[in-house]
Amino acid sequence: MYCVKCGVKLADGETECPLCHTPLPAVEGGSGASFTPYSDRYPRERDHEKYLILGSITAVMAAACLICLILCLKTYGRVYWSGYVMLGIALAWTVCVLPAFFRRWYPMIFLPVDFAAAAGYLLYICASLGQHWFLSFAFPLTAIVAALTISTVSMLRYIKRGRIFIVGGVLMAIGSLCMLVEFFQHITFRTPMFVWSLYCVAFFTALGLFFILSGMIPPLRAFLERKFFF
Amino acid sequence: MKRKKWFRLDNAALIFPAIMKRRWNNVFRISVSLTDPVDPETLRLALNGLRGRFPTFFVRLRAGFFWYYLEEITGEVPVSSDFAYPLTHMSRRQLGRCCIRVLYYGNRLAVEFFHSVTDGTGGAVFVKNLTAEYIRLKYGVGDLSGGIFDPSGVPDPAELTDRFPEFAGGYPVSEEDTRVFRLRGTPEPDRFRHLTTGIVPTDALIDAAHRHGATVTSFLAAVMAEAVGRVQAENVPRGAMRPVRIMIPVNLRRLFGTDTLRNFVLTVTAGYDPRLGDYTFDEICSRVKHSLALDATRQHMAGKIEANVRPARNRIIRLMPLFIKNPVMRAVYHFVGERVGCINVSNLGSVSFPPAYEGFVTRFEFIIGVQYSYPNNCSVVSCGGRTFINMIRSSRESELERLFFARLVELGLPVEIESNRRR
Repeated sequence: MYCVKCGVKLADGETECPLCHTPLPAVEGGSGASFTPYSDRYPRERDHEKYLILGSITAVMAAACLICLILCLKTYGRVYWSGYVMLGIALAWTVCVLPAFFRRWYPMIFLPVDFAAAAGYLLYICASLGQHWFLSFAFPLTAIVAALTISTVSMLRYIKRGRIFIVGGVLMAIGSLCMLVEFFQHITFRTPMFVWSLYCVAFFTALGLFFILSGMIPPLRAFLERKFFF
Repeated sequence: MKRKKWFRLDNAALIFPAIMKRRWNNVFRISVSLTDPVDPETLRLALNGLRGRFPTFFVRLRAGFFWYYLEEITGEVPVSSDFAYPLTHMSRRQLGRCCIRVLYYGNRLAVEFFHSVTDGTGGAVFVKNLTAEYIRLKYGVGDLSGGIFDPSGVPDPAELTDRFPEFAGGYPVSEEDTRVFRLRGTPEPDRFRHLTTGIVPTDALIDAAHRHGATVTSFLAAVMAEAVGRVQAENVPRGAMRPVRIMIPVNLRRLFGTDTLRNFVLTVTAGYDPRLGDYTFDEICSRVKHSLALDATRQHMAGKIEANVRPARNRIIRLMPLFIKNPVMRAVYHFVGERVGCINVSNLGSVSFPPAYEGFVTRFEFIIGVQYSYPNNCSVVSCGGRTFINMIRSSRESELERLFFARLVELGLPVEIESNRRR
């Protein structure tokens, strides 16, 4: 088959002219056969610039940890405030830098790691202050927030339809979470029950219901899309 | 323990390791298509069977204190399946393992060479012998003639030596330092190389060239110069136009009567200056033909060799550590190396196989990589009555290819086009 524009003959398998990009008409038995001069294998290449940047950030963070440790040891003769700084930097590295070393971001791996690191940091603070709020407050709340975050991200990532319902459900779950926070606060710190969390429950439930309703009522959804598109 | 052989880089090869970038280096590819699908195991055996006869190809790039060098590799050179586009990046790490890459896809076997190892002619000799050895192992057919060597033989020392210093003239000749038009384009973010192959009957191409009083190389270079000129005219206001010059590699083996398998090629440039007025195609063709005839002579090329060899002889440069030499060479190449031409038109000439192998080989291709700073390049080879014109591109725009091949059609040549369209 010939390109009507360039006048060149096109090899079998060409669906458009490679020179002028004029599409070829689909002719039975003509062009469009499965001949392909090259395979579909792409080379795997390391992104050196990315690794250089990430390595530099890691080195700067490690240096900051080291400087804090030296200063703290020189001043107090033991690990004091530098422990918080070092573990804080380690937490920041785990959350922000570690995933960037990988080609893809895997929520089912990185999010549990992030929450485990956060729980570890909270445990260190609790233990170093000689207090006892970790098991009754920080740990259950971290676990619940982790479960909520992981399930939300997974649903948004892998379920392509009905995202508006997912968001609505998550907002209602956040309302319930506020109630749980106050409940664990009450158990651990003996604060009064349900002082502020009921407002949050009401607000987030209303917002969540609004999202679910707008998913269920197409004219409302269209109106919102028209008014709030970006 | 057996001592590993090592080879100094030839004079033309010195620049290539120094100017390597993280995303670019100077590689070229020669491929042969056979009648049957390539068997990777037989190809591996054939490849590693050539080790003794072609020792300068089974090498890796190493850095010394003052210069880079090539070191013999002891392990087997692997063969692997081909990629979605030719001349995928050969990283410094890969070159540290092996300076050639042997690939197969369907009926085609291909070898990609880092330019420090050899030039197109040397590469063609290697690939011809690899193909012959493959056919011998697979089909039991053999013929040691027409450039096919006995794989168990010993290489001629002349094949392994750098011939540049030997033929350097007494006086250096430098390329005219003119700022030429630079082709540009939108780079492909994933380094994809678009390849457009134009297949033209060789007889028709020779007839067309003769009709315009030119050789095939000068005819194609003239068509390219005209196409580049039209790209410039479409994109640059007349007052800001620059000369259009095509870089044409000249095989020095023919001029100096040697058969080295190391690099032995230098480029000459030919073209026209659109600032002086409009040129017809015949005028461009005439300019290119006469420039080539004037420059591609033994005396002129000896002067050019002298200009290249002289810095490498300088004691101060020789004693400069590699980490200082590299940025200096890179800077010199950046400001001088590619400013003299817009694009290469590299014609490998006519390649033929002995009659015993002809029935197994359907085509032979030669592809050079894109330039250091320009997104396009063109390479040509003839085999079996057909001429394969490969235009490679690292940018998205295909305007130059369109103008080039459409012009060939206008000049009365039947052109068949193939491409590695992205899938």
